[in-house]
Amino acid sequence: MEVKPEVEKKSKGWEPRILAFLCRWCSYAGADLTGSSRISYPPNVRILRVPCSGRVNPIFILKTLRAGMDGVLVSGCHPGDCHYTAGNYTARRKFAVLSRLLEYVGIDPRRVQFSWVSASEGEKFAKVVSEVVAEVKALGPNELFRLNTSDHTAEGAESREP
Amino acid sequence: MPEKIEKELIGIVSRLFAEGRIHHFLGYGKGTVKFKTTPLIAGNREDLQELWLEDFCAPNLTLYLKDIKGQVGLLVKGCDSRSLVSLIKEGQVRREDLYIVGLPCPGQIDPGKVAGAVGCEREELEEITRRGPEMVVRVNGQEKTLPKSLALMDKCLNCPYPKPLIFDSLLPGEYVAPVPRATPTEDELRRRPVPEKWAFWAEQFRRCLRCYACRNVCPACFCPRCIVEENMPQWVSPLATMGDNFVFHLLRLMHVAGTCTSCGECQRVCPMGIPLMKLNEKMTDDLRELFGYVAGVDLDKPFPFRTYRQEDPDDFIK
Repeated sequence: MEVKPEVEKKSKGWEPRILAFLCRWCSYAGADLTGSSRISYPPNVRILRVPCSGRVNPIFILKTLRAGMDGVLVSGCHPGDCHYTAGNYTARRKFAVLSRLLEYVGIDPRRVQFSWVSASEGEKFAKVVSEVVAEVKALGPNELFRLNTSDHTAEGAESREP
Repeated sequence: MPEKIEKELIGIVSRLFAEGRIHHFLGYGKGTVKFKTTPLIAGNREDLQELWLEDFCAPNLTLYLKDIKGQVGLLVKGCDSRSLVSLIKEGQVRREDLYIVGLPCPGQIDPGKVAGAVGCEREELEEITRRGPEMVVRVNGQEKTLPKSLALMDKCLNCPYPKPLIFDSLLPGEYVAPVPRATPTEDELRRRPVPEKWAFWAEQFRRCLRCYACRNVCPACFCPRCIVEENMPQWVSPLATMGDNFVFHLLRLMHVAGTCTSCGECQRVCPMGIPLMKLNEKMTDDLRELFGYVAGVDLDKPFPFRTYRQEDPDDFIK
């Protein structure tokens, strides 16, 4: 999972970049339906297909933020519809704790969002993406890790990333 | 500590060695540094002479169980017994391999806090002794008294489990919280706006050296190979930059969620004084609020991330 956002400053032309983890059985198919139904949605999401929302390890989300993506969306099947019976239920528990912890350390919860989108909800997918993009746009670029470097590393070490 | 306890302990352990019930006994030994004890792994009766039961028995000895083979006897304080419950549930140790001796804990002294309270450097402290409800501190030949609450570790002030939850025998003594339980102090950071929270934590993460002392001392961090040391793929850069430290600390929290019993060892050993307990406590409070889960108190309740309920909160999901 390499995320290479270009350095963009908050300017007029800035557009948020959002990484979306979509479950292979529901949300990915839902996104497909959005396209085949000719429903338009903001092109700011980069979609990454995962087998199940339960596959999304919290480290994926942390690393995505660290790499400088402006937002993260994780989407899976509605509760009860998981292809693997309970993947989304256990994912829901992890995400509930993670999103509260992220809020506590100062990552705006609007940057890391979760949704349930089924394979038949093409319209809902477009709506969710539009909402997430609008909210992240209002927050501005993710510059959390650009502003501070460490005391303990040689100067310029931070510039190796991204 | 009174001789009576020491005699009792040596009696119990000698009997266990004689009966062949244990191969090793894990206790505290006198440290080489002032105000510190070191874990003592006794392999026979003679080694017990090195046992130390005075103050400064802060280290959580359950950490060392993974390194000792065979039947082990060990000393636990009330708080440490919760780590044992977690480790038994995780399958890291077997209950039948353990002989657990409960230690009455009068609250552990935090020398850094004492130094702050009397206004001197930690190195200048000569002696800290208990006298009734107070602490007597000797600095540069002068004695000063402090109330207990300014000398004990923060976690001891709200000690919820002064008596071990599981044990085979208890040493004589009082199993009561060192300071009568007041209402828990609220972390006022939780009420501040998000950008202020980031300002606080960015500064903390910036200072982290990534020495991994917090991870190494944690009884809940028992993976033989830690994900932060994986390099194919490399999930977290080993450089101590603020951003990578953020990933490391959040990841550490997620990994110990459900096993962390707020024993406070991570914060105690942090050379940079990063308030890791604030993070741990936030996480344990969340687990209690969201799923009614309290780590290390119940051997039968499944870990929160290994189970689910249909009615789990999902108001944060679109």
